[in-house]
Amino acid sequence: MAFYENTLLAKQDLADKDLKEIKEKYNNLINTSSGKVLKIEEWGLLNLAKKIKNYKKAFYIHYKFEGDKKTINEINNKIKIDRSVIRHLTIKYKKLDTNKEFFKKIIK
Amino acid sequence: MKKRNKKFQKRGSNPLNKLSLFQKNDGKFSKKCPLSTKDAPLIDYKNIDLLKKYVSDNGKILSSRITSVSYNKQRKLNREIKKAKILGLI
Repeated sequence: MAFYENTLLAKQDLADKDLKEIKEKYNNLINTSSGKVLKIEEWGLLNLAKKIKNYKKAFYIHYKFEGDKKTINEINNKIKIDRSVIRHLTIKYKKLDTNKEFFKKIIK
Repeated sequence: MKKRNKKFQKRGSNPLNKLSLFQKNDGKFSKKCPLSTKDAPLIDYKNIDLLKKYVSDNGKILSSRITSVSYNKQRKLNREIKKAKILGLI
């Protein structure tokens, strides 16, 4: 088992209800496929530095979780099909620090 | 008569003296590595305020010759900046 971080960029023009659904969907997906979610952060609506798929803004959702190869394959496969997610990034860590939040001020 | 060789003046003496076009005016860099002191800031792709210092206006990564970051930390910076660029943060 290792620690991972995953960040999703969701479309800007989604309703609040859809955002919650996305958040829940991946939370359940990680928990069911031999993983465990440690923390979920919402960074809110941020401006992109450059256009990605013709969008200027995106909604950021950040997961910190524990898991293995199986969980990550599962997430990657689901995100490829998902049309409301523009881009994502997964990073492996040996140790995870769950206390520090860099984007806390922006959310309010 | 005193010798006044402008060629051999110290580089750091004049703050307006730039090494490169991409160097920003506001942040002057010291000669020692700013990231390997005792309570140095964390190099991470989420820490955008730090990473923005080491990127030019056009989004290029500044060389360690200008910023005097040590070799080890420069490699780490390089990796984190590229991660932040994927997510569209910088």
